Amino acid sequence: MNLDFKKIELFAVTIYSLSSLALFIILAPLISIFLITDLETIDKILISDYRYTAQVYSAFTITLEASVIATTILLLIGIPLGYLLSKFEFRGKEAIEAIIDLPLLTPHIVAGIMILSAFGRRGIQGIFGFGGVEDSLTGIILVMMFVSLPIMVDTVKAGFNSIDIKYEYIARSLGANRFNVFKDITLPLAKNSILAGYILAWARGVSEVGALLIVAYYPKSINILIYEWFMVYGLKYAAALSVVLLSLFILIFASIRVLTR
Amino acid sequence: MIEIRDIEVVIKGFKLEIDYIDIRDGEYMIVMGPSGVGKTIFLHTIAGFIRPDEGRIYIDGVDVTRLPPEERNISIVPEDYGLFPHMNVYENISYGLKIRGYSSREIINKVTKISQYLEINDLLHKMPSHLSAGEKQRVAIARALIIDPKILLLDEPLKSLDPRLHIKAISYLKNLREKLRFTALHVTHNIIEAFYLGDRISYLSDGRLVGTYTLKEFIDSEYGEEYIKGIRELSKMI
Repeated sequence: MNLDFKKIELFAVTIYSLSSLALFIILAPLISIFLITDLETIDKILISDYRYTAQVYSAFTITLEASVIATTILLLIGIPLGYLLSKFEFRGKEAIEAIIDLPLLTPHIVAGIMILSAFGRRGIQGIFGFGGVEDSLTGIILVMMFVSLPIMVDTVKAGFNSIDIKYEYIARSLGANRFNVFKDITLPLAKNSILAGYILAWARGVSEVGALLIVAYYPKSINILIYEWFMVYGLKYAAALSVVLLSLFILIFASIRVLTR
Repeated sequence: MIEIRDIEVVIKGFKLEIDYIDIRDGEYMIVMGPSGVGKTIFLHTIAGFIRPDEGRIYIDGVDVTRLPPEERNISIVPEDYGLFPHMNVYENISYGLKIRGYSSREIINKVTKISQYLEINDLLHKMPSHLSAGEKQRVAIARALIIDPKILLLDEPLKSLDPRLHIKAISYLKNLREKLRFTALHVTHNIIEAFYLGDRISYLSDGRLVGTYTLKEFIDSEYGEEYIKGIRELSKMI
């Protein structure tokens, strides 16, 4: 829609104003955090002061390791689950869909308590004597998987749903069984949705902090470190580390947009 | 020969009943009837995409009613041709052979032969999005015929062509059919297509197959009369 100032419609003005407000809500904090951060502090936490750099690089490594493992496992289980929910009709399907979306509605702290009770000393670990999620990399991975699973499954399922059923029909009439159709037709056609699911689930996992505070404060992941610095050193250092994290996110998302254009 | 006996399909409250129809080897059967009468459901039932609630489908005397689509050797060309968008023309045409385990040499030979036949040999490396409607139609037919199906199901394959291309495509299909003598079941609303291509016409009305006619019988039937009347009225208007 082109805004013609000679005939300004109330409708168009309303749309533009409300859209600007929506953008402002995101842009104001984003710009502000960059404005209050000075390069000297960034230099200190990333390069020159070992007291900070050691913590930062360790937290980034742990976050990256846990998030990649969590999202990759989610990909392997999310694709079959998304496919099942997209292509099969069975009793209890709606209930399963509701259960999958539960982490989206669960308060993060509550999610942490749930994970701890299921997989911690009072849960699977206590019963079977193996595992151990408290203050461990496994705990971080589990938390990331729990909060990201709905995003992965819903995005992949939407991708499978968007494929016209005729392609699968034609492939079968040409001699392909269900597995071949999945491999040769459905999966390649849902490629973009699967990639989107991976990126969104990864981003969701990396951004989690509430459940991590309960399950795995240690080893410190990047959000826990930001939280701790905010409590110990105040806004200055927490904002500087946040800017580094945000810049990385922006860089990754911009690169993916360019690569998949 | 394809034999259909007492088929009943119920989908979301819609019921399709086909009491009896035989499609002989090499025959070009037209399926006509008003919109929403179940013509596509009929094709999908034969192809095995829909399992009938009642009745039997036989191919050369073998009961295929419970067989999955991949075991029936029936190919289909939908209205918009349904070329796999992520595969080029060569990959589209060769897909059925690849899945059947043909060697690369055999695949190349067969694709080359059929693409020369259908005059699409210069399109083999193009993606479907770069093809015209007429080219897509030829590629879809090549992909369907290369597996040497027992029957080719055509679901309004000429509908999306403009009038000039439409006439050309009818004549093209006619020539192709005369050369290759394949068995076909062709759904259409177009009486010209039906008369030019068909050996017989099956007519569906209110979810039932009301009859199978020779072209002459169809003109004399109440359903044929409606079409002829429509054409007369149209010519008066022009």
